[in-house]
Amino acid sequence: MDGYAGKMAYADLSAGTVTIKPTPPELKKLYIGGRGFGIRLLTDMVDPKIEPLGEKNVIVYAAGPLTGTGIPLGSRYEVSTISPLTGAAMSANSGGVFGWKMKKAGFDAIVITGKSKKPVYLMLDNGKAELRNAAHLWGKTTGQTTDAIEEELKDKSVRVSCIGPAGEKLVLFACIINERARAAGRGGVGAVMGSKNLKAVVARGDLPIKAADEAQLALVKERVKKKIEENGIDKALHNFGTAVLVNIINENYVLPTRNFQTAHFPDAENVSGETMAKTILKKPKGCYACIVQCGRVCEFDDEKGEGPEYEPIWAFGPDCGINDLKMVARANNICNEYGLDAISAPATIACLMEMAEKGYVKHPIRFGDAKGMLKLVEQIAKREEIGDELAEGSFRFATKYGHPELSMSSKKQELPAYDPRGIQGYGLATATSVRGGDHVYGYMISPEILGAPEKLDPFVTTGKAQWVKTFQDLTAAIDASGMCLFTSFALGAEDYADLLSATTGMKITAAELLTVGERIWNLQKLYNIRRGFGRKDDTLPARLLTEQLKEGAPTGQVWRREEMLDEYYTLRGWDKEGTPTKEKQKELGLA
Amino acid sequence: MTVTQNRITVTVKSFATLREVMDARVQVDLPSGATIRSLLAELTGRYQGLGELLFAAPDTHRDFVNILKNGRNVEFLGRLDTPLEEGDLIALFPPLAGG
Repeated sequence: MDGYAGKMAYADLSAGTVTIKPTPPELKKLYIGGRGFGIRLLTDMVDPKIEPLGEKNVIVYAAGPLTGTGIPLGSRYEVSTISPLTGAAMSANSGGVFGWKMKKAGFDAIVITGKSKKPVYLMLDNGKAELRNAAHLWGKTTGQTTDAIEEELKDKSVRVSCIGPAGEKLVLFACIINERARAAGRGGVGAVMGSKNLKAVVARGDLPIKAADEAQLALVKERVKKKIEENGIDKALHNFGTAVLVNIINENYVLPTRNFQTAHFPDAENVSGETMAKTILKKPKGCYACIVQCGRVCEFDDEKGEGPEYEPIWAFGPDCGINDLKMVARANNICNEYGLDAISAPATIACLMEMAEKGYVKHPIRFGDAKGMLKLVEQIAKREEIGDELAEGSFRFATKYGHPELSMSSKKQELPAYDPRGIQGYGLATATSVRGGDHVYGYMISPEILGAPEKLDPFVTTGKAQWVKTFQDLTAAIDASGMCLFTSFALGAEDYADLLSATTGMKITAAELLTVGERIWNLQKLYNIRRGFGRKDDTLPARLLTEQLKEGAPTGQVWRREEMLDEYYTLRGWDKEGTPTKEKQKELGLA
Repeated sequence: MTVTQNRITVTVKSFATLREVMDARVQVDLPSGATIRSLLAELTGRYQGLGELLFAAPDTHRDFVNILKNGRNVEFLGRLDTPLEEGDLIALFPPLAGG
């Protein structure tokens, strides 16, 4: 055994068939798994000219060799597809238990092609796979879908990864939800599922997942467990969840507020992780094999749900001018139930709020209107009234009304919860992200705000290009391995390389691991160039380049793209347009 | 705030696990010319357990502890020697992460 389940399932929804094949050794060697598998298979199979919501798009679910091996925080799977929101090849990552269960069911990856005439779900069951009728599930929320499948299978051990009504309605930022609240959140992966009439992927099984060298893996496991436990960062994550970031980002004056009009929210404490711990938090919750447990189970009034995490708290809170944590949590629960990305949905509402306040759109919503915000979330999910227009995302919406500059997005995907004007390297990371506005393809907040692995001055541009490249490549490799990105606060490239070597039996060095990450990054980039992306797209909204911050330490700052972009391209071995040179492609085996 | 007899008053806010050992917000009276170092000496004397959370060794705060003066990390000012002035707002963070 080598950490892999050994098989991949190819579901042709047009033909209604599923074929099972061995996981190719070359794919393991060059791309490891997870995001690597997804991007390689996707870019091999999909003509760059296709429409993302057409029949010819492909969805790849893939776990990594470290998923489900009992390694702390080894729980992740990736969903890769051509995003209907951005038009780019992308992947969305999710935790929970599903990734482990997919491998216990016998599969490293599943490749979904075509379009079913009627709603179906894909059942993975102890080495077998088949398509089943899902007509009775269509229209159900993610929670109802999960309940119904558990009931019809008479088995609560199954794990369900599904879409809600938003995916069925082709909301461009619909997500996929597993175990009722864990999301492959970004880019509209749920809309692609909906376009194929695929309601869910269900995994059941108890097949073994064994490492190549169990004794060596036990030693490395112990080492990484100790590092994670000794790293003080993870204690704060356990106690306060990811929402512990609210205050530190706000105190640095880089918490985007009211659609990035300012970067400091006076009421941040009201929606902080500290306040959540004292009020609505019932208990922490972890994914498979997690020793951190950053997940939140929250209960209040008649409401019960998981989350909210930091990003939705920011987006439904400060970005919409709202200081009521319960309303934020309610909105987050609606997103989970309907299957909406809880970053893009609220950020699109924040865009509407600014446009309505400025009179560009006739609508009663204003910043701070929490009840109005909740109504809009449902309208988006159901594509009702103005929700139908907002379901296209903030860029298309703002453009329709003549003000694209008010969409706080990059490559048409809404930006996350940090103001790049006061965090220069993060700005470069999100502007060059191959999946559009993003924070988890290279988390520069870690060195620039949190001080890990070392403190970098967030206002300085010098040297940031190299950091961004390294973080982006390492993250791609971590996403391929199946590990949670939060391990990177405590672990280095050599730790992942040692875990992979012991698990797979392939001798992988830290340098080779980074090369795998670089290969994935360049492959994704090359494909996106074929879909029309270029230097012009590696940027951020004009507001962030021209309107100075006006409060706190970053007063006077704007995001300084031109001081970093050429250096970044040069370090990557790309030309001035951001295209990987032939030499770089050859070096990575992509030519 | 008024400056009296060459003394200054600064406001300190603490976050996350630091609140287990100290007030979330406190005003501290210090001699004029005080620095982050003297402020922390005052606070660690006042709050039992705080020193252990902030310092790995004398004069060396723990990895990933962040101290902001008016929103700017003191790492990029004068570190522990960063001078304090009347009315400064100091934010203390233990190691933390998210995303």
